[in-house]
Amino acid sequence: MDTWKEFEQNVISHSAAHHLMAVDDLVSRLGYARVSDIARQLNITRGSVSISLKPMKEAGLILQDENRHLRLSEKGQRLVNAVKTKRRLIERLLAELLGVSAEQAEIDACKVEHLTSNETARRLVAFFRFVDSHDATVREFLARWRSFEASCGSDPQACPTCVEKCMARDVNES
Amino acid sequence: MSPLSTEEIVQELNRAFAEEVEAATRYLHLRNAVRGLDRLRVVGVLKEAFRETIEHAEILARKIRSLGHVPKLDICVSCPSEPLSGTEALQQALTFEEAALSCYQDLLKKVEGDVPLEEFIRSQIAIESEHVAQIRELLDE
Repeated sequence: MDTWKEFEQNVISHSAAHHLMAVDDLVSRLGYARVSDIARQLNITRGSVSISLKPMKEAGLILQDENRHLRLSEKGQRLVNAVKTKRRLIERLLAELLGVSAEQAEIDACKVEHLTSNETARRLVAFFRFVDSHDATVREFLARWRSFEASCGSDPQACPTCVEKCMARDVNES
Repeated sequence: MSPLSTEEIVQELNRAFAEEVEAATRYLHLRNAVRGLDRLRVVGVLKEAFRETIEHAEILARKIRSLGHVPKLDICVSCPSEPLSGTEALQQALTFEEAALSCYQDLLKKVEGDVPLEEFIRSQIAIESEHVAQIRELLDE
């Protein structure tokens, strides 16, 4: 399958994920969510919220009562729980294991949380179970990783990762 | 309810300003997205609605300036490139017009006691209510 087309197959968009999480957060805090509350939380107009919510209501992710109060359906709640879990997993992978700054880890996790497949998330859970197992080998691996000098040194061609040119240079800040 | 400070009033007016400017942008998109025979029926309505919405935005901007501030605009509009029927376009218009109306209705509650501002918001509510009623009539709701 053309991998790039997978992007179009995602259940929800980045914007939809944030709308759903806003509803979840507001209901948890206030007991209800209105269009005006969601607009304030996401710092967008009520018009945008109303337009965005329509397909989510049609997809059965959001329910509205006679007072126009919104809440997540069971299906919507499952989706939000999955997205939140994926965000935590990715943030932890980036920040704790790869050493990315907490701020950047949060930003990058937010970008991909709704795109990450359940299969990848399950493997991340398994991986963290391994990391958290306090196995002596794991502790040694982590200690060595944290002290590892990651540069190619003076000869990128001798580097087993980079081969011809240093990949790190390609992704350096310009 | 304790009266709002000028800064709080300006913040609320900026919100209403954003609603109107966004609505105008959506009307511009909608009138270019309608396809088929429906175009004849609704493009005139959408064009007029665009003009009126820009006028409302101007009125709000003038009000904000009269309070000694510069209007602040922070919008993010994304309109897909799918063609629409006249009914679909009007249904979308109804959605964001109702949202704008609710914005003014909530603002009215907050400015109680400030007579000039109350009068201003009431006049906006009257105009928006008429907009909503017109669209509903076209949709035969």
